[in-house]
Amino acid sequence: MAVAASSMHALAMNTDHPAADFSDTPWWLSLIKAVLLFVILLLNTLLVIWFERRVIGRMQQRPGPNRAGPFGLLQTLADGVKLALKEDVTPKNADKLMFIAAPIIAGAMAFVAFAIIPLSGSVWMFGHHTPLQLTDTPVAVLLVLAVAGVGVYGIVLAGWSSGSTYPLLGGLRSSAQVISYEIAMGLALVAVFLYAGSMSTSQIVLAQKGIWYCIPAFFSFIVYIITMVGETNRLPFDLAEGEGELTGGFHTEYSSLKFAMFFLGEYVNMFTVSALATTLFLGGWQAPPGIAAIGGGMFNGGWWGLLWFFIKLWLFMFFFVWLRGSLPRVRYDQFMRLGWKVLIPTTLVWVVAVAFIRAAQLGFLGDSKAWGGIPRATLIVIAVIAVIVLAIAWVWDTKQARKDNEVTAPPDEVNPFAGGHPVPPLPGQRLVEPVPAIAAAPAARSSVDNHSEEPRG
Amino acid sequence: MTHLGGAESTLFWFAAPLSVLGALTLLFARKAVHAAMGMAMTMILLGIFYITEQAEFLGIIQIFVYSGAVMMLFLFVVMLVGVDSSDSLVETIRGQRVAGLLFGLALLALTISGVARTTFPSFIGLDKANASGNVSGLANLIFGKYVWSFEVTSALLITAAVGAMLLAHRERLRPKLSQADWSRRRIREGVNVAGLPVPGVYARHNAVDTPALLPDGSISELSVSRVLKARGQVVNTQTLTAATEEFEESTGDSTQEEGGQQ
Amino acid sequence: MNGPDYSYAPLLFFAGIGAAFAVFSVFAASIAGPKRYNRAKADAYECGIQPSPHAEGGGRVPIKYYLTAMLFIVFDIESVFLYPFAVSFDRMGLFALVEMVLFVVTVFIAYAYVWRRGGLEWD
Repeated sequence: MAVAASSMHALAMNTDHPAADFSDTPWWLSLIKAVLLFVILLLNTLLVIWFERRVIGRMQQRPGPNRAGPFGLLQTLADGVKLALKEDVTPKNADKLMFIAAPIIAGAMAFVAFAIIPLSGSVWMFGHHTPLQLTDTPVAVLLVLAVAGVGVYGIVLAGWSSGSTYPLLGGLRSSAQVISYEIAMGLALVAVFLYAGSMSTSQIVLAQKGIWYCIPAFFSFIVYIITMVGETNRLPFDLAEGEGELTGGFHTEYSSLKFAMFFLGEYVNMFTVSALATTLFLGGWQAPPGIAAIGGGMFNGGWWGLLWFFIKLWLFMFFFVWLRGSLPRVRYDQFMRLGWKVLIPTTLVWVVAVAFIRAAQLGFLGDSKAWGGIPRATLIVIAVIAVIVLAIAWVWDTKQARKDNEVTAPPDEVNPFAGGHPVPPLPGQRLVEPVPAIAAAPAARSSVDNHSEEPRG
Repeated sequence: MTHLGGAESTLFWFAAPLSVLGALTLLFARKAVHAAMGMAMTMILLGIFYITEQAEFLGIIQIFVYSGAVMMLFLFVVMLVGVDSSDSLVETIRGQRVAGLLFGLALLALTISGVARTTFPSFIGLDKANASGNVSGLANLIFGKYVWSFEVTSALLITAAVGAMLLAHRERLRPKLSQADWSRRRIREGVNVAGLPVPGVYARHNAVDTPALLPDGSISELSVSRVLKARGQVVNTQTLTAATEEFEESTGDSTQEEGGQQ
Repeated sequence: MNGPDYSYAPLLFFAGIGAAFAVFSVFAASIAGPKRYNRAKADAYECGIQPSPHAEGGGRVPIKYYLTAMLFIVFDIESVFLYPFAVSFDRMGLFALVEMVLFVVTVFIAYAYVWRRGGLEWD
């Protein structure tokens, strides 16, 4: 009896394991769920491409596709069929095997990661009580990162196997971009694991019953949002397909459905990273606070969870489109600088800070309570962090001020022809009164001469 | 547990030949990239094997680190060599093959003797090892029994970073010029202030290999890239303008007509 | 023995469906589409200029990417150690925290070195 009780205790403590209970899910039900999830993902992709074009259209004061089907809804389907009927060209310099393998890897790998996303809690399905989630494991979130890592092969191989300059450069750029931003993304997730004490997605969703992690782990949330755009090669970070420099990037040489696989992969990846963001930071399938409390949680879980999940997911998709509609593309060195010199160090520091906050909350740094039952250690840790952040900001600010002072202030009056070329005045500057053209010509020349002779003294 | 479960054995018999195939590809593929991909496949399948043995964290990390990161490094290194290169069977260092064989045998002997002398303590079983969860169990070992090796790993990582810098980093001799610097320099020197002229646009061709024409009909050398000139890929504008001149001869010079008259 | 109450089988189903779809699409494309041979079509696409016979530099990768990949491995391994720490931090206590801070600071030295030497600059 005592043994059983202690093992029960151990099980209750154990947050490694998924909270979702798959014991009542026979294999055929898993298969049905897998097919359903696949169909849902494909339909969502068809829809989001239409959605993107329509929304971008609205943002640019034009209607967007509106011919095929009601509101142009069938446009993507029509495009897909047309792509299938296009000629499948293989360049003569291509490495045939890898040229075919690359789109297969990119297309297949995009789907895998979505399997661990909890779409909702448990529901009754064909007489079984099963979670609306394909599967969950103690390392579920890592699985997404691992699959993303393998998916990069698709990009590298596509670029390399085309045997052409632009795809090679584009493939390298994309892969370097994806692996650079994967580090910051992986580090940002550590804060979530610290709060949830688990890497299982259903467990993380459950742990957000009280408060969504976008609040206590706000910095991770911001970093994740930035890195997810970088990971999916979307604007403003779609440097791999900067049309002005690399035409189509790694898929320049691809046509027909092989190209469609890369296209599909990109959009499914967008769904995956958005779904992961929803799960880790926005409470997953849980209803927004307020609605969650109605009727003792009647709208929180079961089939209702799907609604909340997809609303949050599509808010992220809108965010992607919004970014594309508003921001210009960044330059590659700026992009890498942001990733390596800003995101990685700040995220590391943030993770250490969260570890200290957690340590204080858990009473590792002493148990004494201050006012209102808040542990004193927590207050001290937060105060120390605040002081450090302020100190860094202050140092940076003085440095910036010194840099600004080094730039000599422009003079109040400016002779537009002093340097030999016409220069418009800066705001607040006054032009030297222009002299009539014929009289000015010798005057201006002499002023230039004076100017150039000055150093000679 | 001496017998494999039904699903597990099916997976094993499906995945094991594939992983052997990957390993053989590594050995026998002519192209280095194919060999690397064979190895990547074996790595991924190894990760899957670990997972079926309920070493989930290890399995995922195998895929995450080895297939995701280490193989990416291999792939980049292999691509350093170039697309068309394949394994050459000529020895570049004399006695290389014999030495390699000897060292390989020595390593094999060392491994066998090491493995042979290993004694296992009695097994405690998976259920107990994974009692507090696979990841937590591993964490307890890393931050408990093996904490020293864990700390030493960081030194290893420093070594890796320093080594990579030594091998691959090229020191910059003069500061990098930004777009603003270039623009300032152009203005100051008064040469090509508005940038270089763009390539020419012709009725039949408008790529970057067509030089622009100056007002006197000669071509502007600055309008095509030096690289293309060195490769001899610049299009001869005579062929592009000849057709127009021919047409003008037969119909009269259309540029003389103004006001949109046909 | 009690196996875990979750399984990886659905993951395999899902991966299988995805892979089958991708393979089917890629091969369907080569059947469904027209085949009109044209020598220019099989050339590398270089925006209208005469394609160079090989990819730039013989299809070689700049050495710069080696550095990026190596740094990626370093940080990847660092985060791999951070994950089990984060998951079971609740149950480990102050000692683990001190260990982890030491580890992060040591790896940060490598990072600072690479930064100072200019290994994080891109042209």
